[in-house]
Amino acid sequence: MKTEEPLVSGPGLEMDTMFVNLGPQHPSTHGVLRLGLTLAGEVITKAFPDIGYLHRGTEKLMETRSYHQCVVLTDRWDYCSAMPNNLAFCLAAEKLMAVQAPPRAQALRVITCELNRIASHLIFLGTYGIDIGAFTPFLYAFREREMILDLYEALCGARLTYNYIRLGGVASDVDADWTAKCREFLEFFKPRLDEYDTLLSFNPIFLARTKGIGVIPKETAAAWGLSGPNLRGSGAAYDVRKSEPYCGYETYDFDVPLGETGSCWDRYFCRVQEMRQSVRIVEAALAALPGGDLMAKGIAKLPKPPAGEAYAHVEASRGDLGIFLVSDGGTAPYRLHVRAPCFINLAILQDILVGKKVADVIAVLGSFDIVLGEVDR
Amino acid sequence: MKPDPVARLLAALPRAESAASPVKDYPTLRLAAPADILAAARILKDELGFAYLEMVTAVDWLGPVSLAGFVSSANPSPFTKKAPPPPVAPAAGAGIAYRPVLDMLWSFGNLQTGQKVFLRLEVPRDNAEVPSLTSLFAAADWQEREAFDLLGVRFSGHPNLTKILTPDFLKGHPLRKDYAHEKDAYDED
Repeated sequence: MKTEEPLVSGPGLEMDTMFVNLGPQHPSTHGVLRLGLTLAGEVITKAFPDIGYLHRGTEKLMETRSYHQCVVLTDRWDYCSAMPNNLAFCLAAEKLMAVQAPPRAQALRVITCELNRIASHLIFLGTYGIDIGAFTPFLYAFREREMILDLYEALCGARLTYNYIRLGGVASDVDADWTAKCREFLEFFKPRLDEYDTLLSFNPIFLARTKGIGVIPKETAAAWGLSGPNLRGSGAAYDVRKSEPYCGYETYDFDVPLGETGSCWDRYFCRVQEMRQSVRIVEAALAALPGGDLMAKGIAKLPKPPAGEAYAHVEASRGDLGIFLVSDGGTAPYRLHVRAPCFINLAILQDILVGKKVADVIAVLGSFDIVLGEVDR
Repeated sequence: MKPDPVARLLAALPRAESAASPVKDYPTLRLAAPADILAAARILKDELGFAYLEMVTAVDWLGPVSLAGFVSSANPSPFTKKAPPPPVAPAAGAGIAYRPVLDMLWSFGNLQTGQKVFLRLEVPRDNAEVPSLTSLFAAADWQEREAFDLLGVRFSGHPNLTKILTPDFLKGHPLRKDYAHEKDAYDED
């Protein structure tokens, strides 16, 4: 299945174009994203993603709220994977306050973030299957995701917006029962990954729809600022967990899966392999879970970090999530900027959709795994 | 061997200086004039391998944020009779030099070495204009549009400098400290 160049120029080939709105209410846009597509026949000649439908101005809201209250707002960016959002904000604020979470809290942060990566990639796997026309994997993926959400519910009472990672540590401790359940899940989950490969990854129809479609070369991916599995699917080995380890990631042994060509399938398969690595990390973290405090000493109820600027970034499920935080010594952040991976990943769409056929739009869009809550913030 | 971006940039741009208050733990360079950003970005990208534009944003240093920019109703919750305490305007920080400038911030990354460098530049608030980096980094496209929309920085040379996050009818730039919300059709009474 090769995409064709649009035949819109040349004598006798003038063709009427048609404008098509995809979204903002469309099941395959994964939220409120509108794509304005100009078509010549079946081929796209111009595409513009229209965003902002979910813009809540969280960066502005945080300017009047205390640092503890801000953590709650961070959950609402990437609501499919809220733990890394909590973490990125807390790391930036902790940098300003010059405190560090105790070892047990750091290990719990790693465990919860990696479980969240699995849960988030499972949503991707399921919904991407649906986008392409394979309904069944969705049911399997959500069965496993449900188990992770149950673990979260037992841990912090919430299934989606956790507010679990707090300034200076984490909110609650795990007990032997929880770790046993977590291990049980990991043992259950490992063979499921092979099942997904037979169900979806190497399904001939799925391969025909995704392999060689939406190819992004390495340099292009870097130029557009892609991050996370979208960048690694193009073969660039950039992972914040490796380049700037945080929360003790340098002590865990894991690989960074890379794609070969940067096609939709490479981005997809990168995520499937990442789930294996996350399982490895969680297993290692559970095995070496240190004892001790959950909270660093000296975190005030109304923290006033000293004036200064800090940047912290984490490898969130969807890419490099960065928080730039400015304090003027007050109780609320003076300014907060989110380097939102979904927002930056989405920009390339206007470029790579041109020349594709309409049928490929959903395959390409789905392969970026966007969450509009983070795109619009 | 890892290249030293700050030394190379300081050699090429004599008016630039290492920032007095850097972004914690990262090399930060303060530029002297808007024209320098293009030259600096070109050196970073072509010579030093910083081909990854991570972030474009700005900080408005006018002073504590004005509450006029927030929409609030007395009791937004249908579940409680008691209204939450009204938002409190943040107090001015002691010893902070508030001034009518937008402090621009660019962050460049080197994917091979994992290094990062921040560039800063102060531009006046009422006429904030800097050159666009879209000719060098495609990633600048949307990030500059975001800074234009929310902070009112104009990026000269940007091919499509339009609003991106806020609705078309919204006036002003919400992340500016003196932004005041104007009532529109979507506000409750």
